[in-house]
Amino acid sequence: MSIDDATTAANDRLAGSEDMIVCVDVDKFYGDFQALKGVTATIKEGEVAVVCGPSGSGKSTWIRCINRLEVHQGGDIVVDGIELTNDLRNIEKIRSEVGMVFQQFNLFPHLTVLDNITLAPIWVRKKPRAEAEAMARALLDRVGIPEQAEKFPGQLSGGQQQRVAIARSLAMEPRVMLFDEPTSALDPEMIKEVLDVMKELARSGITMMVVTHEMGFAREVADRIMFMEGGEIVEVGTPEHFFTNPTEDRTKLFLSQIL
Amino acid sequence: MSDVNQVSADAEEEQFSPHETPSLPVGQWLRKNLFSNWANGILTLLGVLAALAALRGVLNFVFSENRQWDAVRTNLRALMTLSYPESQYIRVWVALGFIVGLAGLSAGIWANWGGVSVRRISTWLMGTGALLALCVIVREPSVILGSDGKVIRSIDGSLRRESFMDAMVDRSTWWIAAVLLLAVGAALWSRFSDPVRRRVEVSVTSVVFVGLGLAVLSLWIAPYGHYAFISETKSYIAESGRTVAFSTKMPWTVMLILLSCFFFVGRFFQSGRYLGFVKGASNLLWLISPLTLFWVVLRDPALDYGHVISTDLPMGLAFGLLGGALLWGLTRASIGEAGRITATALLVFAIFNWVAAFFGWYPMLQKARISFLLLALAALLAPNFMGEVAKRRQLVLGWVGVTALVHYLATMINTPSTVELQSTEFLGGLGLTLFVALIVVLLSFPLGVLLALGRTSKFPIFRMLSTSYIEVIRGVPLISVLIFFSVMVPLFLPDGMELAELAAVLTGYTLFSAAYLAENVRGGLQSITKGQYEAADAIGLTPAQRTGFIVLPQALTVSIPQLVGQVISTFKETSLLAIIGLFDFLRVANSVIPAQSEFMGVKREGILLVAMIYFFFNFTISKYSQRLERRVGLGER
Ligand SMILES: Nc1ncnc2c1ncn2[C@@H]1O[C@H](COP(=O)(O)OP(=O)(O)OP(=O)(O)O)[C@@H](O)[C@H]1O
Ligand SMILES: [Mg+2]
Repeated sequence: MSIDDATTAANDRLAGSEDMIVCVDVDKFYGDFQALKGVTATIKEGEVAVVCGPSGSGKSTWIRCINRLEVHQGGDIVVDGIELTNDLRNIEKIRSEVGMVFQQFNLFPHLTVLDNITLAPIWVRKKPRAEAEAMARALLDRVGIPEQAEKFPGQLSGGQQQRVAIARSLAMEPRVMLFDEPTSALDPEMIKEVLDVMKELARSGITMMVVTHEMGFAREVADRIMFMEGGEIVEVGTPEHFFTNPTEDRTKLFLSQIL
Repeated sequence: MSDVNQVSADAEEEQFSPHETPSLPVGQWLRKNLFSNWANGILTLLGVLAALAALRGVLNFVFSENRQWDAVRTNLRALMTLSYPESQYIRVWVALGFIVGLAGLSAGIWANWGGVSVRRISTWLMGTGALLALCVIVREPSVILGSDGKVIRSIDGSLRRESFMDAMVDRSTWWIAAVLLLAVGAALWSRFSDPVRRRVEVSVTSVVFVGLGLAVLSLWIAPYGHYAFISETKSYIAESGRTVAFSTKMPWTVMLILLSCFFFVGRFFQSGRYLGFVKGASNLLWLISPLTLFWVVLRDPALDYGHVISTDLPMGLAFGLLGGALLWGLTRASIGEAGRITATALLVFAIFNWVAAFFGWYPMLQKARISFLLLALAALLAPNFMGEVAKRRQLVLGWVGVTALVHYLATMINTPSTVELQSTEFLGGLGLTLFVALIVVLLSFPLGVLLALGRTSKFPIFRMLSTSYIEVIRGVPLISVLIFFSVMVPLFLPDGMELAELAAVLTGYTLFSAAYLAENVRGGLQSITKGQYEAADAIGLTPAQRTGFIVLPQALTVSIPQLVGQVISTFKETSLLAIIGLFDFLRVANSVIPAQSEFMGVKREGILLVAMIYFFFNFTISKYSQRLERRVGLGER
């Protein structure tokens, strides 16, 4: 399936949008092992792209290349018009425009929830503390836990921690949010509260790239679903296309296992 | 009264419960833990007997008629400050008063030390009472003295001792004290035994203040120290007209008053608007107090004002103002790559100055070299203060402050002292021990952290340098490092560069201690998960911010136990200073006192006291660190 097909497959609502993330022929090696094999994809501004695929297919590797937590060896990655190279300034710029939510939350355990959220706005965005705190409280309100501001992460449930992590990323007012299996470490009863927050985010129009196995979520909010296997994007399409008549056998196999 | 009697029965049981309240009743607890089977029971009995024998041995040693505690009592001052001259002694009290005031202030600001239940206090009281009673019983009866004050020997040469009953009667004061403690403890215990009152707590602060108050009060009652020994009259004198010394009761009372006053000042600020400012100020004062007190207050430098005005002042001003201007420029938002280049160039230049000093290529005042190095470090930090005017001003003001302090201290240290002494160093005893320990801990801390970061850095050059430094130092015993710095380094120094013995030793000890500290911190650094680094990167922190805000705080928290262990061993190992000629605390007890004509060879008493004081300090540090661990542990739950 070519890029053109993928782009046309996207929703009408994104018709006139700018390209936000452009990956062309991205290769990534771990030693001799090639984890990404010529990954090519474009994600438009305001788009919600869900990435799925079997374990070890390179989903995390790809999404982590986009904010340079991993360094890619071949191809180009351009985020919001900034090319990811070894230039530190570009990396700094991209990181302050791209938020990331991890499977393991990765909150800072020695800081209160409020300090977790305000740290980057104060020190990277150079905001005055009062302003940063007001914004942090508003964000906690938005993710539904306004009363937890003074607690430490260790005192919260998994679902609450993940919502704090989302608020922490949002505090940098990113234009893109990356999610790497944000609900995989959660108990079933907490998954919904996190997905609800993510759905609300998706509706707010921010660009999102989500690695997840939550097919209900994908069906409901994704503009496009990308299926990866063996370091390649195997199939791209709207949820409707993806769930009703996938073209590739490997996709069908995957769907039959997961649904 | 009847209820007191009732409880004293179970209070008695309670004395034998070794640790704080097991949840089982005492009888059961004993059976379960100590007498679970006959072998265990025998072991327990043997253990108790051995402990009693040891206690008896210690008591017999301490109260033996052969002990000359007068040696210690007369030399208390020597143990604290060695031969600091009488005429200037007020300086010692001023220095101490400063520390005490600062301690009060900090305690007041930070005060929430938590509480301790009255039940707990009552068990302490009863435990102390019981121990006291035990001591009175196990110590052997005293030797009988004849009318001339000499011991009386039997025909076979053994000492004549009073009967057991007589001994008990003689020790009636101690008995009364023991019974009083037991009674008060038991009364409290019974009063606070119902489930509600069990939880009643008093604040730790008030317990500490009552304890200190009692200690100071006892100075007015018990003559702990002597002032001097007058050989003509063969008596110890204190103040005029008295033969026992209460010479320090006034100063210590003033200290207690200072402590309380500043405690309440701190309390006052605790809830106020100026809290941040007061906290900052008190931290800063703590940081510089050892340096200023030691080199300025105690040493009383005789300043040469001509030199100060012609050289020191202009130089300090130049560094402060020009450096400040440079940093102001470097924090401009638009500086870009030029900032990094300037900072690196400065660093290269600063390091080159030291190399040049080593080979003696060109002369430069030591403080200029230090200033350039500091300026280079500040320039490297500049990107973190970019942007807002307030932040830029912080850096510049910080720089001016540091420059002022460095130049002030450098001038003071290089000026001869007015305090005249027999020995080469103007302070010895516990004062010196504490000073060296404090300075070494203060200075080796940042250095050790830097080394640890270097050793875990991703840049091979830093990794290699720190690793080899750490391994070399750790392969060498402390004593040889100290000897190297006191004997060898002065030989290497170019002409015109001098290092006071003490400064050389401090340098050596700091470098030594930093290597060990680095290893402890490295342990902490390795416990930080990869996720923490990634999260910090993902929100856009710079590597320096990531280290300062995320990695180090967690790593240091993890390594608190090891760090405290190191503080304690640093403190204890200051006793090695004796070997290179300084008169530390232990050396005073071990060789100064036994050399005095009136106390020829009297050693053990002093050493016992020294051991007790070491123990007191280290035990306090260790207890405090446990508290600290619990408090910062909150973030880890
Ligand atoms: N640091 C690494 N070093 C070596 N190989 C790695 C590393 N990280 C990932 N890999 C390999 O790269 C491949 C892709 O890994 P990746 O984590 O991207 O998979 P994934 O699709 O996210 O899987 P999962 O659903 O299990 O998270 C895997 O085969 C993995 O073994
Ligand atoms: Mg993954």
